Amino acid sequence: MTQKLSISNISAHYGQTKVLEDLSLEVGEGELVSLLGASGCGKTTTLRLVAGFLTPTSGTITLGGKDLTRLPAHKRDIGLVFQNYALFPHMSVADNVGFGLKQRGINGPERKTRVDAMLERVGLSALADRLPGALSGGQKQRVALARALVIEPPLLMFDEPLSNLDAKLRIDMRVEIRQLQRANGTTSVYVTHDQEEAFSISDRVAIMHQGRIMQLDTPETLYQRPANAFVARFVGFENLVPMRVVERDGAKVTAEAEGGVRLTLPLENYGGHIPDAFVLACRDEGLSVTPDLAMEGIPATLGLRTYLGRAYQYQAETPAGHLVANGPLTQPLEPGMAVKLVPVPEQCTILAPE
Amino acid sequence: MTRPVHPLLIALTVLVFIFLVGPLVIVVGSALSDTTYLTFPPQGLSLRWFENIFAIAAFRRTIITSLQIAFISTAIALVIGIPAAYALNRHRIQLPAWLSTLFVLPVLVPELVLGFSLLKSVATGFQVPIFPALIIGHTLLVLPYVVRVISASLANFDFAAEEAAVSLGSPPLKTFFTIVLPNVRSGVIAAFILCFITSINDVSISIFLTGPGISTLPIQILAHVEQFFDPTIASVSVLLMALTVAVMAVVERTLGLTFLAK
Amino acid sequence: MKKFAGWTLSTPATLVVVAFLILPVAATFWTTFSTPNGPLAPYFAFFNSNLRRTVLLRTINVSLATTAISLVIGFLTAYVISRTPGWLKSILIIAAVFPLLTGVVVRSFAWLIILGRNGILNTSLISLGITDTPFQMLYTQGSVIVAMVYLFVPLMILTCVGVLESIPDDLIQASSSLGASPTATFLQVILPLATPGLIVGAVLVFTGSFTAYATPQLLGGEQVMMMGTLMYQQAMVVFDWVSASTIAAIMVVFTIAIVLVMTRVARRLNPMAV
Repeated sequence: MTQKLSISNISAHYGQTKVLEDLSLEVGEGELVSLLGASGCGKTTTLRLVAGFLTPTSGTITLGGKDLTRLPAHKRDIGLVFQNYALFPHMSVADNVGFGLKQRGINGPERKTRVDAMLERVGLSALADRLPGALSGGQKQRVALARALVIEPPLLMFDEPLSNLDAKLRIDMRVEIRQLQRANGTTSVYVTHDQEEAFSISDRVAIMHQGRIMQLDTPETLYQRPANAFVARFVGFENLVPMRVVERDGAKVTAEAEGGVRLTLPLENYGGHIPDAFVLACRDEGLSVTPDLAMEGIPATLGLRTYLGRAYQYQAETPAGHLVANGPLTQPLEPGMAVKLVPVPEQCTILAPE
Repeated sequence: MTRPVHPLLIALTVLVFIFLVGPLVIVVGSALSDTTYLTFPPQGLSLRWFENIFAIAAFRRTIITSLQIAFISTAIALVIGIPAAYALNRHRIQLPAWLSTLFVLPVLVPELVLGFSLLKSVATGFQVPIFPALIIGHTLLVLPYVVRVISASLANFDFAAEEAAVSLGSPPLKTFFTIVLPNVRSGVIAAFILCFITSINDVSISIFLTGPGISTLPIQILAHVEQFFDPTIASVSVLLMALTVAVMAVVERTLGLTFLAK
Repeated sequence: MKKFAGWTLSTPATLVVVAFLILPVAATFWTTFSTPNGPLAPYFAFFNSNLRRTVLLRTINVSLATTAISLVIGFLTAYVISRTPGWLKSILIIAAVFPLLTGVVVRSFAWLIILGRNGILNTSLISLGITDTPFQMLYTQGSVIVAMVYLFVPLMILTCVGVLESIPDDLIQASSSLGASPTATFLQVILPLATPGLIVGAVLVFTGSFTAYATPQLLGGEQVMMMGTLMYQQAMVVFDWVSASTIAAIMVVFTIAIVLVMTRVARRLNPMAV
């Protein structure tokens, strides 16, 4: 019971405002894809379109080859886990879980067996007769999960399911969700604004912004090789320095940034190719502060120092603009010092210019 | 959002709204009729029955009395009700639970019973004259609205703001007027309007307390209908509806009409 | 000082309620217990009188009918309103609020014009040739019920809209995502969750009808006397204040009992309150 979800060229409007523009997305059989982005990026709208609570202005949605676009929500057969659980407050835990089966005409002992088995799987057998109001947040989340899973849907969708839980429980639950999803092999769409959550749980992540997918890739690729400045900033490349190549010398290029700052970059560190114009993107730990002014790097004057635990972070003013760099804990440096910022290739990448 | 509603339900809703609005349209139509009896659709258009309202001294007097009573009793209810609502919210811990029930009592006790009891004990027993007796009755009638509406507003007010003002050196009483009251402004307006309109329209209490010489408009209407069946009453009704429209316009301006749905 | 702030502020209102509500109403009750014929004599007299028993039963009947009709009409209309988008919804709500803010006398008077012997309904029926003699519609139980429904439907609609809007959209979406058709969602999710609110609304309508005065007076008259009109007649026409006090006491006990029992039922049914 697992099927491929295809979203092709859908657009959606709320009144006059366009919230999704020509969005396409494929989720393979058994795959878990997260939609990640800030509020208003269109991730929830996408989910609601697939669920059938909204109708797209154009485009199609198919599941296992069947066109869902105009099908009413209750005929779509999609398991949904809501942000605030959306448990029916007037039904016991068992009745909540059995609700979908009841709608499918599954009654009597079969329903009871399936509900009991599902409650067993999420560890809630003891609470079957309680009302949702008497449960903790984590328990409610488990009921919501069980309720969505018990109908054995070909597609599961999660709408920020963990955002109402505390930090510790959030981590436990996401492991649990991933295990259940893997075990059932159910195709899944997971909406979240939490990067760590998305990266830890997903096969692939779609980073969304203003109704479009900025990049859809595995967490590893997104983290190491963002495709554009937006994604780079999103995954923590704080320093973006536009540069152009002034000299190519076999395995190395020399590039210049604003203010005449020059750096020599080995091609092997940047995927073997550096275009003539590019943006050097570095995390804060990708720029290492050194008081040795003889080193090659970006000349800078240090500003505020903050303690990060693993290193010191420095605000730095450079001819190429304001940058954020790290320095070792063994050698705290004072504001106002003249230093060099040396790029650390593993924590830097190259982007096409905007 | 796709939210299908069954066509039969839509048809029912249309009928219900015809049922709700239709009779009032008929009243307006009858008021404009040029005939000496009530009829609809109006035969000939005339405003003579509106003039007739003011030609009848009893109507002139009762309109003024009703307005006076509505203003005075609403004012008294606000003056005693706002502090009570504030106390119930701010000092909940030191007050017993029954106190909030006490202020709901005038709603629980049928108005007719309240009116009759006031007639028996206050008007007859203590010989309180008609006008003050009416004020007492109407103050009780509207007090629950004040307490309830102001409490609802205060429930959304963060008393930390009051503490902040006091910590900055503002004396408690001044703080109430400069910090608390402005934040429940919409509640005060809503309470005022609800009280005023409730008082103006009241029958069940006034019917016992009005007497020779002093009556309220609704009671005068009842008395008039028993004797005459001319369009005067329709005209008075239109005046009262105009008051309702004015009230709704004020509500719309100050609070937004969604307020009325609560 | 601070310790008594709550008391100080609530004292004026408390005094007003105690002096002008609790004591006078208690005095009314006391009247019925202190007659020369023994403490419960007025109640025996009330229930031994055919006329009064009829009035009480009629009042219960009319109130039940009014409540049932208002409940069904009000809830279904509110359901449609809660599903109506934007501006149209505001207009519908205004159309429901307007009659509510218009006084009882005006609204009852409207039905006097419609149902009268030479009223609109009769004139229309005659001009349509359906009948040639006007029907007696006024001063019947039916006319009182129609006008009472007219009185209370707006209240019921507004109460129900409030109840329906308090049901989170998520629950309805969860229900349909689990395969429930709109009808199944209505019956299995919306209706059970709305029931406590509906009970509260129904109690308001029932107690309101039970203690109504102006509407039965105008549309029922002497022929369709109800508890309110009977009490007024006893107090102000017959000047039998013991009898009026007895009716008053029965009305109070009846309404308070209904309010207490039904709010308890509603609370028990309300899972949100857990």
